[in-house]
Amino acid sequence: MSPLPPKKDYIGAMTPMPVKASCAISVRNLRVKYGEREILHGVNFDVPAGETMVILGGSGSGKSTLLRTLVGLERPSSGEIYIMGKEFANISEDERDELRKGIGMSFQSGALFGSMTVGENVALPLQEHTDLDPSTIEIMVRLKLDQVGLSGFENYMPAQLSGGMKKRAAIARALSMDPQVLFFDEPSAGLDPIIAAGIDELILKLKRAFKMSIVVVTHELASAFLIADRMIVLDKGVIVADATTDEMKNSTQPRVRQFLDRVPEPEVTGEIDYLQMLTGDIPPIRQ
Amino acid sequence: MAFTDSIGAATIDGLAYVGGLARLTGGAAKAVFISPFQGKRFHMSRAIHQAMAVGVEALPITSLISFFIGAILAVNAAYELRKFGALHLVASAVAVSMTRELGPLMTAVVVIGRSGSSFAAEIGTMKVNEEIDAMETMALEPISFLVAPKFLAMILMVPCLTAWADFMGVLGGGAFGLAAASFTWGSYIQATLEALIAHDILTGLLKAMFFGLVITAVGCQEGFSTGLGSEQVGRSTTSAVVKSIFAVVMVDLVSTTIFYLTAPR
Amino acid sequence: MDISTRKVGAATIVDVVGDITLYNSPQVRKVLLDLIKDKKTPRVIVNLERVKYIDSAGVASLVEGLKVSRDQKSSFALFGLSRTAREVLELTRLIKVFEVYNTEEEALAGGAKTDASPAR
Ligand SMILES: Nc1ncnc2c1ncn2[C@@H]1O[C@H](COP(=O)(O)OP(=O)(O)O)[C@@H](O)[C@H]1O
Ligand SMILES: [Mg+2]
Repeated sequence: MSPLPPKKDYIGAMTPMPVKASCAISVRNLRVKYGEREILHGVNFDVPAGETMVILGGSGSGKSTLLRTLVGLERPSSGEIYIMGKEFANISEDERDELRKGIGMSFQSGALFGSMTVGENVALPLQEHTDLDPSTIEIMVRLKLDQVGLSGFENYMPAQLSGGMKKRAAIARALSMDPQVLFFDEPSAGLDPIIAAGIDELILKLKRAFKMSIVVVTHELASAFLIADRMIVLDKGVIVADATTDEMKNSTQPRVRQFLDRVPEPEVTGEIDYLQMLTGDIPPIRQ
Repeated sequence: MAFTDSIGAATIDGLAYVGGLARLTGGAAKAVFISPFQGKRFHMSRAIHQAMAVGVEALPITSLISFFIGAILAVNAAYELRKFGALHLVASAVAVSMTRELGPLMTAVVVIGRSGSSFAAEIGTMKVNEEIDAMETMALEPISFLVAPKFLAMILMVPCLTAWADFMGVLGGGAFGLAAASFTWGSYIQATLEALIAHDILTGLLKAMFFGLVITAVGCQEGFSTGLGSEQVGRSTTSAVVKSIFAVVMVDLVSTTIFYLTAPR
Repeated sequence: MDISTRKVGAATIVDVVGDITLYNSPQVRKVLLDLIKDKKTPRVIVNLERVKYIDSAGVASLVEGLKVSRDQKSSFALFGLSRTAREVLELTRLIKVFEVYNTEEEALAGGAKTDASPAR
């Protein structure tokens, strides 16, 4: 683990710390590539157990990629990930599956199993990984669906649900194993404000009642400030801020302010570069 | 130079593809035959569901096709045999070609069209919708959850369907025999039974099992390799059909040669 | 997790010690259903004083206990909820569904009066 030099423009600037057992998640020098193109350029952060971490960042900044890497769907090209104190990025499939039983993930698109009813989707992990009685599982499924406001929809097929309902069903499924660590990719994007507020409320309650450690990717600033204990701002695959919610509110760091105040990105390319880009003299981004 | 390079690259791609098929088949075989004894669950209800879809629901179309194939075989055999006044040999010609070759092959074609393509479409859709990713984050192994039930259903149902196709083919041949070659049902069945030997039937069914295996592997592999975007699912499905037909013919060639070399004379 | 039962008058108290989770809640369920269904115990009281954490599988097992006891026309109560256990029951909106008491004495007394309004 080679520590990064501390960056001046980094609020709460930290060099990679030793991994603490009390952290639900620790990420060290994480680099992720799709093919030749590097998306995350050495990311470091910690999520203390029982806290909610919000990852902010513009579209395409690598938030989903970061989340996918944290749950083991993308392999980092280098760096380490610790989930509940255990190395997660470089372990065997069996060990990883064991850890994953304590993790819940709600995908940006929902990713419900289209061939199963909503209830079957939520029940599946319980049926596969536990010895619970089917009647207990039925009650648990109804409890989870009630928590996301989908009581009575257990026999619907995902295709019969609206976009927002799909997303909530996916959250119910992510909750089904009562995970210690929960990941949300844009949980309230595209939902109406009342439902979105309900989801924020649910995240707060889950943290309190079940002591879950939660990582949420979102663009919704109001929601972020409501639910987060800590926030990081990701910009083009680099963390430009890592701070508590209050520190973040008062940050004077330009890139953070720009994101928080919703200032459009200033033009970074010069006229010559722009001309070259239009005429194809600068090669496009390689896949 | 460029030409030999591209041959080399194509060979490596081909080997990698076959390697992928072997990995899928190995994983599925392990999930069916080994893991249940190590305390892991096997999804028997999913396998039964697949067996219904692959086998039982294919019965009508398989019956129809193999009946006509049997009749066509009989007509072609009769065309040649009548020159020698040997029309009574039509029954044995149909029986042998059907059980050794056309029963397994036509069944495979039906199964590719119905099941191989749907495996690719099902898994491809799941891939595009991030369902496969979701499955992995829930610690569910896609091979044992999705592929293994299909694998078991196919290695059991394709031979069963083939046996039925053999029978329907014989009936089809018989229909021609009765109409045009002065057979009675009794004499036709009699002649068929005399011509058939267990070795022919069994090698045909064994071949059918191999066909089931490669159709599953190719269909699932095409599904898993579906790229981003839903139009990719169509591409996967088409390519599953084309590649499965090719793979079945290759397996047919190899296994028929082996059976020939090892056959009792 | 340890689970044991003792009789106090007509009631049976189920003492649970440790966390109730996905993996051990079938044990809790079995003890509860056994008492209510097979032994026809008129009042079952679950002591949660020494349960720090209960997950939704645990909650679901308690719900099953409550349901079966309603079917049998017997009674079912909880006492000694930790702060987290209470929060879990509040999150799942079950705190008002169960008969919940603070102490064992209250729980036992609560059973005596037939129409006791459950303490919050
Ligand atoms: N499967 C993929 N293959 C190649 N590039 C990808 C893939 N997924 C995302 N990318 C690229 O990675 C970058 C970050 O994407 P993503 O993590 O989805 O951003 P965000 O979630 O912050 O909007 C984007 O430029 C995107 O084009
Ligand atoms: Mg995203």
